[in-house]
Amino acid sequence: MQTVIYAARKIITMVPNRPEATHVAVRDGRVLAVGNLAEVSGWTDPGELHLDETFADKVLLPGFVEGHAHMMAGGVWQYTYVGFQDRISPEGELWEGLRDIEAVTNRLRQIESELEPGTPLIAWGFDPIFLTAHRLNRYDLDLVSKDRPVAVIHSNFHLLTANSVALEMARYDRTTNVTGVDLGEDGEPTGELQEMAAMFPVMRRLKIDLRSLARTASAIRAYGKICHRSGVTTATDLINDLPLEDVELMTAITGEEDYPMRLVSVLNAHTAPAEEVVAHALKLRGLSTDKLRLGSIKIITDGSIQGFTARMRWPGYYKGPDHGIWNIPPEQLITTVETLNAAGVHMHIHVNGDEASDVTIEAVARALRKNPNPDHRHVLQHCQLADAAQFRKIRNLGLCVNLFANHVFYFGDQHYELTVGPERAERIDACATALSEGVPLAIHSDAPVTPMGPLFTAWCAINRVTPSGRVLGAAERISVEEALRAVTLGPAYTLHLDHEIGSIEVGKKADFAVLDDDPLSVDPMTVKDIGVWGTVLAGRPQPVS
Amino acid sequence: MDSADQRLPLTVITGYLGAGKTTLVNHLLRHADGRRILVLVNDFGDISIDTDLIASQEGDTLTLANGCICCSMGGDLFYALSDALDRQPRPDHLLIEASGVADPTRISEIARAEPDLRLDGTIAVVDAVGFTELSGDAQVGGSVLRQIAAADLVVVSKGDLQSPEALVGLKQRIAALAPAARQLEAPFGRVPTEVLLGSLSSAEAGQASSGCCGHHHAEDHEDHEDLYLRWSLARETAFGREELAELLDGLPAGLLRLKGFVRLDENWALLQVVGARVEVEMLPDVPGGIKQTTLAAIGLKGQMDTADLDRLFSR
Repeated sequence: MQTVIYAARKIITMVPNRPEATHVAVRDGRVLAVGNLAEVSGWTDPGELHLDETFADKVLLPGFVEGHAHMMAGGVWQYTYVGFQDRISPEGELWEGLRDIEAVTNRLRQIESELEPGTPLIAWGFDPIFLTAHRLNRYDLDLVSKDRPVAVIHSNFHLLTANSVALEMARYDRTTNVTGVDLGEDGEPTGELQEMAAMFPVMRRLKIDLRSLARTASAIRAYGKICHRSGVTTATDLINDLPLEDVELMTAITGEEDYPMRLVSVLNAHTAPAEEVVAHALKLRGLSTDKLRLGSIKIITDGSIQGFTARMRWPGYYKGPDHGIWNIPPEQLITTVETLNAAGVHMHIHVNGDEASDVTIEAVARALRKNPNPDHRHVLQHCQLADAAQFRKIRNLGLCVNLFANHVFYFGDQHYELTVGPERAERIDACATALSEGVPLAIHSDAPVTPMGPLFTAWCAINRVTPSGRVLGAAERISVEEALRAVTLGPAYTLHLDHEIGSIEVGKKADFAVLDDDPLSVDPMTVKDIGVWGTVLAGRPQPVS
Repeated sequence: MDSADQRLPLTVITGYLGAGKTTLVNHLLRHADGRRILVLVNDFGDISIDTDLIASQEGDTLTLANGCICCSMGGDLFYALSDALDRQPRPDHLLIEASGVADPTRISEIARAEPDLRLDGTIAVVDAVGFTELSGDAQVGGSVLRQIAAADLVVVSKGDLQSPEALVGLKQRIAALAPAARQLEAPFGRVPTEVLLGSLSSAEAGQASSGCCGHHHAEDHEDHEDLYLRWSLARETAFGREELAELLDGLPAGLLRLKGFVRLDENWALLQVVGARVEVEMLPDVPGGIKQTTLAAIGLKGQMDTADLDRLFSR
């Protein structure tokens, strides 16, 4: 029986009795002991003691758990990244953030010159919030190519800018009268296409299929790499139709020894009547393996706050029109939640606006009155505008929340100035209130909507700083310890996996994030800048380089 | 006539849960009349196809014995539409049964944007019994009102369960919400297929190309002869542009649909009217087999007079 003792500069365990340690002994992929060298050596004959000092100057944490992200975060890299922030591709290349439109077109020209003739050039991650000199338009992209279709998908995946060739393919011109096809002062389409209806003809003709970005072997591998690079050892794929042939592929790939993480893939509950969803979910639960966990479901109730499609309570949106939508009629939500809860199926429910939260809380309350379900741990995902009273109800019902902390940075200024106004913006993703009201808390990136990176997500929750430098809701900041818990043991709890992962504790999986520095010692404003050496999965070191 | 038009006609049916969408769609599938209709539903829980109609089921696709197909959208309209357009052979008509809280304009806008689609009409189904309470509901009332405001045709269901006075009040309310929309009642979902779908059945298309209109197949219309009136026209003389525009302004309020090829000066146009929405589209070529203007209309008995239509179109 091989036992390895890893020595580290510091081990942060998430276990109150010994929150910090210097050595961890690993056997059979599990944590055998945590403490100092003397304490952890007792399990092994001195002659067989194998001390590994690879991490002597590193800091170990429980492997990060990303409780709300999407498989597409890997596959989307088959397109060219043109975002404002630096990002690292699954293959480890640094793609520098592009600070103006000229930089965007320069990068696209470079990529264009290497493409086969006739192939469309597709880019992603463009974020107009940060590039305010002028709106990206067709003429910018015509500088990239006048012969080949070019499409730039914006970071929110709700907007797309096309060049003239792509617009012609969709037969968009000055006679077009379609909501979302933006026309300039000259009456011609500017190239910006807003929302699905307007984007559809271009996406169809350029064969942009976001669905396939999550269904291929290379997409599953790419997602593993993205997670690995940010120190994540367990990640969700938080909505998937999960046909059995896809499950087979996921099982095979995650089962490879060098697949770097555990995958929790969550069934889309919108594809079939609730009874059938129950049957499929229970069947999937039985197909779970050590590295692929199945059986939970996802329901989406409303849209997004920045898209003005979230369902808001009074007084509604601050500035801008209320386009609040239900993705499922509240009446049907109530019966679906009841059916799934009665069958013991674990639910992740997307709620953004506070009205969506209200309706969902009530639906869960009703379901639990009918079928008490101790330890259900259903999760309100995003739950961005919940107030203290809602958090108290959430706690009383045994619900968990996974708050979208990255939003504070990415959309905080917009929320303050435009969508919900100053006071409610300050309570957006209210981590401190959730904790003080006793709600089990996780925080997330929703990658690829914002970049995967638990240290960055923690940084957002700790500092609540926006791009304009505003501290948005100082009272909702949480401590570094609390934030680290919200990216490890917190999400593990929301996934019913806290008995296996989320802390460095005897008997649990030996899954660690290996960091270059100690998040508890550095300036909290630099937590996001700490380097990730890699991870340890089931006792096996996995350097990123 | 649709042989001249490669676009896939799209009809959107909206209505809150229990309004009667499914009954309407089931009736339609029973009376598809040779059309290969592709129905997209949110999930099969929304639609219960009588088992004697089903030829096979594979995954999220039901194939019916009469050539129609039902697909579940799986919550993703975008890909369902893409798949529908790529389906070989392409269906004759696409029908989307939207979710109870869908905003139909989000769907119909796709048909306006996509060159391979043609918006054939937006239909809202309203439950005569439940409407008043539903329209005041804090959470879904707005969606229901938006559905009516976006409709070309409003189908009132369960009118037989409502008092005549209340029904009059309801119709006034709908008229205020959607002044241009036409209203019709649909006991047990019985609405003639050609009211719901503007595309012609294969039988009708055959007639059109032979220039013989106005002849009915009795079996198609058994349910609704007492409520609806049909009218057709074959005319040699070309219309002038202004003449056509003027007479389209004068269409009777009871007219639900009017469609056909029109000789317009030296050119040909495709005319489609649903409710108050009129589309005249110039055609680059002479439609195959067409020698004269051929029009067919259906409307509500008592609110449309065929003699008026004859006069209007033969001036």
